[in-house]
Amino acid sequence: MFIDINCTQEKKYNQNAFGDYFVSKRRPGRLIAVLSDGLGSGIKANILSCMTATMLLRFIEAQRNIKAACEIILNSLPVCKVRQISYSTFSAIDCTDDGDVKIVEEGNPQFIWMKKNGEIIEPECKIINSKTFSNRHMRTYHIKLELGDRLIFCSDGVTQAGLGGDNLKLGLRRKGLIDVIKKKMKHQPDISSRELSKYIVEYAKYIDNKHAKDDISACVVHFTKVRRLCVFTGPPYHNEKDSEYANIFAEFDGKKAICGGTTANLISRELNREIISESPFNTGKLPACSSMEGVDLITEGILTLSKTYEYLKDEESIDEINAAVRLMNLLLDNDYILFMVGAQLNQAHYDPNLPIEIEIRKNVIKKLKKVLEEKYTKRVEIQYM
Amino acid sequence: MEKIQVEICMGTTCFIMGGESLQELATLLQRKYPDKVDTKGIVCHGLCNTDCQYSKAPYVKVDGEAISEATVEKVLAVIERKLDNNEQ
Repeated sequence: MFIDINCTQEKKYNQNAFGDYFVSKRRPGRLIAVLSDGLGSGIKANILSCMTATMLLRFIEAQRNIKAACEIILNSLPVCKVRQISYSTFSAIDCTDDGDVKIVEEGNPQFIWMKKNGEIIEPECKIINSKTFSNRHMRTYHIKLELGDRLIFCSDGVTQAGLGGDNLKLGLRRKGLIDVIKKKMKHQPDISSRELSKYIVEYAKYIDNKHAKDDISACVVHFTKVRRLCVFTGPPYHNEKDSEYANIFAEFDGKKAICGGTTANLISRELNREIISESPFNTGKLPACSSMEGVDLITEGILTLSKTYEYLKDEESIDEINAAVRLMNLLLDNDYILFMVGAQLNQAHYDPNLPIEIEIRKNVIKKLKKVLEEKYTKRVEIQYM
Repeated sequence: MEKIQVEICMGTTCFIMGGESLQELATLLQRKYPDKVDTKGIVCHGLCNTDCQYSKAPYVKVDGEAISEATVEKVLAVIERKLDNNEQ
């Protein structure tokens, strides 16, 4: 099984920093994630939640025991002098690829466990009281997930959205959120974690009249079959390997993308499949895409890959729908990504007359791997030929 | 009469050597000669690589004939010449 995890966040209206903080890390066979909500909003909350989340993540990673790690934080989190409550709340998740999940919550809304058929399960929890603060406790869970199960975590910005409004006097609450998710899942049973978390945040913002009254975060964990994607870019160093290269492409089990004109021509020639160009109109600042039987996306090479990297690094920089956005969506909707990199150099790219410097393919792919692994917790492999 | 086939290279080199502005050509041709000219993008003509020492990207092909250092005006002139010949 593969753990598809994604968190979407929104700042409180008129603030310039996120008061919630999310971190996650994938280790072989294991995934750790922490969502923390800092007291208040803006910079102060950002620092508090960031400290809690990053420290907790490192503790869990080092101790190999989530309960012990969380207890340390529970007993040591300072208390706000003004409000007399703890600095920040958190939800920590530690799961293995075979569905063994341990969860610890302190102060955050209780998570939602939804089966594939939409059924909600309320698992038993054990409450641990803090040794140092009498009003502080944490809930711990140890559950076993099956294929298709989802876990939904959120900050109170979601459950309290709409609070005091005309329709929802007490806010959305956990029950309301469950209904919203159930409704969405009816239409899109296979929705990815990215889309679902985005939807929850958008919904919460919407019922607050598009001005978030608090920091909003939604994190979705989905146990799914591994969704596989291969990206072929660049022709092999030795021309004799062309047919082997094309065969690997043909036999790959999963979605397929080609980045590069020469590569597309090579695969078209070797597999005897025609390339169909999409309209060259309105493609934005990047060359148009093409299609081929059995291929999900064909784009230009290095410019599109470089732009995709920029978008992945900073999703807010997306200003148009172009080839790089399409490639980014394809990358994000898959869990295992194989980059097959042909090592042949394109002489024309070294012409000093070119108006801009073209990145070296290998470097762009390495950067893509890094951002996909670290920011989006994807499993990425690079092969050179 | 068969339509004139215009193929704009969408490869990296062509695109940054001016191919970006050739998108304009596609729009222009569709507006000016909707019944006489067919315009499409091509992943890569491969011409920049065969002639890389004197690369004359961007390349556009009109009925298979390659135009190097293509600009909107240059390609338009070739198409208009062809249309004139066809009419005669």
